[in-house]
Amino acid sequence: MRTPTPHALLSLTVNGDRHVVAAAPHHSLLEVLRYDLGLTGTKQGCDKGDCGACTVLIDGEPVLACCTLAATVRPGAQITTIEGLAGPAGRLDPVQEAFDRCGALQCGFCQPGMMLSARALLNRDAAPSDTAIREALGGNLCRCTGYTQIFEAVKLAAALARGESGASIDPTPPAEGYTVLGARHRKADGHGKATGAAVYTDDFNPPRMLHAKILRSPHAHARIVRIDTSRAAALPGVFAVLTGEALPRTYGVIPWTEDETALAIDRVRFVGEEVAAVAAVDEETANAALRLIDVEYEPLPPVLTPEAALAPGAPELFPGRRGGNLTKHVRLDFGDVDAALSNADALVEGEYFFEGTAHAPIEPHCAIAEYDARGLLTLHSATQIPHYVHRTLAKTLDLPSERVRVVQPALGGAFGGKSDPFGHEIVAAKLAMMTGRPVKILLTREETFYTHRGRHPMQMHMRLAANAEGRLTGLDSKILIDGGAYSSFGLVTSYYSGQLLTAPTGFETYRFDASRAFTNKPPCGPKRGHGSVQPRFAFEIQLDKMAEKLGLDPIELRRRNDVGPDTTTVNGQRITSNGFLECLRVVEQASGWRERRGKLGFGRGLGVAGSCYISGTAYPVYPNEMPQSGVQVRLDRSGRAHVMCGASDIGQGSDSMLAYIVAEELGLRPDDIRVTSSDTDLSPVDLGAYSSRVTFMAGNACREAASALSTLVREAVASKLEVPGREVACTPGRWFWLGDPTRGMDTREAFVLAEAAHGTLGATGGYRTDKTLGGPYRGGTIGASPAYSFTAHVAEVAVDVETGFVNVKKIWAAHDCGFALNPMIVEGQIAGSVYMGWAEAVMEEHAFAYGGPNPGLLRGPNLLDYRIPTTVEAPEIECHIVQSIDPNGPYGAKEAGEGPLHPVLPAIANAIYDAVGVRLDRLPFHPWRVREALRAAGRMGGR
Amino acid sequence: MSLHISAAPVLEPRTLAEALDLRASHPEAMPLAGGTDVMVYLEGGVIDPPRFLNLWGIAELGGLSRTGDALRIGALVTHTDVVRSPDAQALAPALVEACRTVGAVQIQNRGTIGGNVVNASPAGDTLPVLLALDAEFELHSAARGQRRVPAAQFWQGYRRMDLAPDELLVAVHVPAPSPGDRTFFRKVGTRQAQSISKVVLGARVRLDAATGTVTEARIAYGSVAATPVRCPATEAALIGRRRGDLAAAADTVATEIRPIDDVRSTAEYRLAVAVRVLRGWLAAV
Ligand SMILES: Cc1cc2nc3c(=O)[nH]c(=O)nc-3n(C[C@H](O)[C@H](O)[C@H](O)COP(=O)(O)OP(=O)(O)OC[C@H]3O[C@@H](n4cnc5c(N)ncnc54)[C@H](O)[C@@H]3O)c2cc1C
Ligand code: FES
Ligand code: FES
Repeated sequence: MRTPTPHALLSLTVNGDRHVVAAAPHHSLLEVLRYDLGLTGTKQGCDKGDCGACTVLIDGEPVLACCTLAATVRPGAQITTIEGLAGPAGRLDPVQEAFDRCGALQCGFCQPGMMLSARALLNRDAAPSDTAIREALGGNLCRCTGYTQIFEAVKLAAALARGESGASIDPTPPAEGYTVLGARHRKADGHGKATGAAVYTDDFNPPRMLHAKILRSPHAHARIVRIDTSRAAALPGVFAVLTGEALPRTYGVIPWTEDETALAIDRVRFVGEEVAAVAAVDEETANAALRLIDVEYEPLPPVLTPEAALAPGAPELFPGRRGGNLTKHVRLDFGDVDAALSNADALVEGEYFFEGTAHAPIEPHCAIAEYDARGLLTLHSATQIPHYVHRTLAKTLDLPSERVRVVQPALGGAFGGKSDPFGHEIVAAKLAMMTGRPVKILLTREETFYTHRGRHPMQMHMRLAANAEGRLTGLDSKILIDGGAYSSFGLVTSYYSGQLLTAPTGFETYRFDASRAFTNKPPCGPKRGHGSVQPRFAFEIQLDKMAEKLGLDPIELRRRNDVGPDTTTVNGQRITSNGFLECLRVVEQASGWRERRGKLGFGRGLGVAGSCYISGTAYPVYPNEMPQSGVQVRLDRSGRAHVMCGASDIGQGSDSMLAYIVAEELGLRPDDIRVTSSDTDLSPVDLGAYSSRVTFMAGNACREAASALSTLVREAVASKLEVPGREVACTPGRWFWLGDPTRGMDTREAFVLAEAAHGTLGATGGYRTDKTLGGPYRGGTIGASPAYSFTAHVAEVAVDVETGFVNVKKIWAAHDCGFALNPMIVEGQIAGSVYMGWAEAVMEEHAFAYGGPNPGLLRGPNLLDYRIPTTVEAPEIECHIVQSIDPNGPYGAKEAGEGPLHPVLPAIANAIYDAVGVRLDRLPFHPWRVREALRAAGRMGGR
Repeated sequence: MSLHISAAPVLEPRTLAEALDLRASHPEAMPLAGGTDVMVYLEGGVIDPPRFLNLWGIAELGGLSRTGDALRIGALVTHTDVVRSPDAQALAPALVEACRTVGAVQIQNRGTIGGNVVNASPAGDTLPVLLALDAEFELHSAARGQRRVPAAQFWQGYRRMDLAPDELLVAVHVPAPSPGDRTFFRKVGTRQAQSISKVVLGARVRLDAATGTVTEARIAYGSVAATPVRCPATEAALIGRRRGDLAAAADTVATEIRPIDDVRSTAEYRLAVAVRVLRGWLAAV
């Protein structure tokens, strides 16, 4: 019997290497792997047990490293982490190879665990069935992929492992006229993500680093009477304690509504708001110090709904603020809606409610700040907007902006949840400045729920008018938005809730009236499909009701009112390319709509919906005349290229997109290209990954830079071959004369000639938006985009009439992305969007306590109670790409990352109506809610 | 990583006898099997034990075997072990089904039957099945040797059970089914994997071979009360009913369980589902 010791010496065999580590007895295997052994490929995505990101194999069986005490691993047990999955000389395991080839590695954060679970499955079952795959991966949550490409990858891995020679992905050739674009390529960052080598923010551990923790408000609304930090400051191991007074400058992502401070000053406005922070030698000491901070609160009555917030005499969140709790009111009128409504042949009126939802990327927020003696501040952060974080740090810390550098490492998913500058980023920076040591803040999963700026709850009232021919003559929309405690992107959200509704199905007159109210809940912001997913839900159900009223097929109603290409919408938005009718046609056909709708029997049904979304906005968040996106490309005489761009790759593949464009233009293979992105010191500014702007804007900027270089190389090659420049072309690896393709040279030689002729080869490109876009009225520029994407979905559901359980059998999604630079990535974006929208329809919601002892408390801020779907329930998703070739997009491309989410929710609602004849106008469609609706309609089956 | 506790030394017995001695001399030490529940409590700050008693690796607590006409499942047997055991598949298919729904593969590989029983969560997935199968728990202490407690008497209140501070659960005994036994397990969860149950049902009826009437019935639910519960009135209502005519007895459930509203479901929904799931099975028996 060993006697107890405070630190046990453990002998662990990891990836075949024996290690002896002295670990605290309560440390998990995850901590030992990540911190003691530096094997950071194993990820932490939750506070314990809920996400599967920490999966490792012990003797070939998957276990959660976070739930396994290191001390209980039997000596001699073989532990395998992602770093040990590859074979000799780093040869990828078939699982890694297949995940890379199938595009399953989006953000990649879930994938080390996922790949290990897949490996364990294949060890036991060389040819697993679909069900076996789903069950084996049920403990590994992925937020990016919708799981479809993961399922494909596991099947491909099994085939590769069985040595099947034909096992390969769809070898789509490049699109006509291209040598790279349009084909299925691996992602630029795929290899690093397959091997666990990709470095995410929390994987950095600079020497002498301190850990910071944040004390949060237990009250939804209270005055801070007094904060006493003296006991915390005196705790051994504590280096600095910080409260709000030290960071008095307000900030916010929208310059007109800067109402946040990094730590609360005088008043807290939601449960979980940041109040004070501590930097200490380790997290345990920092947590202990937080418990020693004495805060005296004077609780104030909270307002928890927008109705309560806007009622006369409601307690104010910002006393003395003009407008009180009304953060923004927008009202816009286009034409005479009242006349349209009163002259309508058919009128549909409905009330809809969209509950708030979370982004829940598997990677929690994390930031690491370093400050050196020269006064240079460097922040590594899990952000999707390094440029705005850069500006915010300079402002709030009173630093000249040239002294601030923000770097976004590999990012484990974002979906809009990392698109505000956050208090914890400023706090980490301030603590680093105070202590002179690197400071890391890693939020717990619970803290991410207070931080992330979830989708706004909206109460929507709509009246839709049509004439007897089925033309839509007017829409009157009134929306009440629950903003939470701060403005965040709320000004934009308020406009988007109306501005993005006027296509693809148009109407002749329009009024919208949106009010956003402050409430004592965590602030809301943008989530995939910012501001427009909610009204789209309401509107597309309105259309379904209208079609029924007019006796028209819902697809036909949409066809009749399609706005078409090259047009201007009722609110003045310019539409260029528009593939919506083709999207409708594709899903109509693929789903067997004509033969099957209304004919599947009670309990089963089909529903349709459509939508459009922006490809970036014409106007940047802060007014300026500079390009929205800048790219720099440098060619190397060794036959390589280096691209630098501020754009954030959040898993959506923007680094890859830059690489494909450079490869196309310069006769390179995509993996000949190195990408440096989202580092404010090294890459030209791009405003960030939001508004689906990156492919359109950074893609155009990249094309400009790459084609400038292409001209130089072409000239040099032409003069060597003594042929006209316009007759010179390139293909990956080679430049040649079109007249006789055997006359040419490899790309390296072409670059050498060009460098000899023109000097060092580098070029920049920038994308500026057309500032004439948008309607000629106040707010008319919001929602103005250089191009819009279009989507149509059909959903098929089976409703269990006794339990109310809605089983979404299949979703057919057709998306017009203009041109698919890499169809594999576009399909990944479509599937991921569909999955996320489906989850919001049937499972997810931000549930708050509205009464009881803790009003304003978020219920279940973890990945067990906030139910993001697993592999087992994910529906079948069939993706179709429609290409309308936009005149202004790079090679015709438009967005694909957000648009395809919108129609899922109303398509499911409409399918439920087709199945069981009840309307669900309130999200999400919990079984009990569906059951209630069925009962109210007298449609319960059985008893 | 944040752990809200101070360093807690681990006691490492190598045999059951050592473990029982340590259990007696260090009642403050928390037994640790797979640790899947314990780690979650640690992280949440729910517990802060000064010591752990690490049972993982004690051979006498392992092993799944058929002894005579019963299944002996060592306390350290994992859910995966149960799922893969031909003996368990043959003698206790409902238990196999229950173990298959615990968390996901990673939790099944590490979480143990003993941990599930002693953790005593009202949502513990194997517990209603153990009730329905008339399982017995073999408890040992250094001072008093061993005793057996029927599942029906083990869970006494919210996470309170008939287990003395110096005792360890050593094995779970599950009697082999009689030829006329029909068993059933069903979990209705918040999602399809990694889910906490809204309702779990474990059930067994014994049918007379000649007449097809029910001679014995066990109906047990989880997630509807502070402990897993049996439904004696429903069981009584089933006795003497004939196969084909069982379903109506399910309605009796509504008279004897009172589920609650929480973030995972509503009371009304839980009750409706509890009744429906049972009725569906009884109709198909
Ligand atoms: C992500 C996740 C999902 C989960 N999903 C489910 C689920 O779907 N269904 C479900 O039922 N459970 C679930 N659980 C809970 C847990 O995994 C199970 O209860 C498991 O069976 C516990 O076993 P263990 O060996 O890990 O227990 P431990 O955590 O080691 O122990 C649990 C408790 O039992 C005591 N104990 C353990 N063994 C003994 C013994 N032999 N004698 C005396 N006391 C003992 C411990 O002191 C402790 O109090 C889940 C847990 C996690 C983390
Ligand atoms: S970190 Fe282990 S399950 Fe989430
Ligand atoms: S790729 Fe799975 S979470 Fe991002």
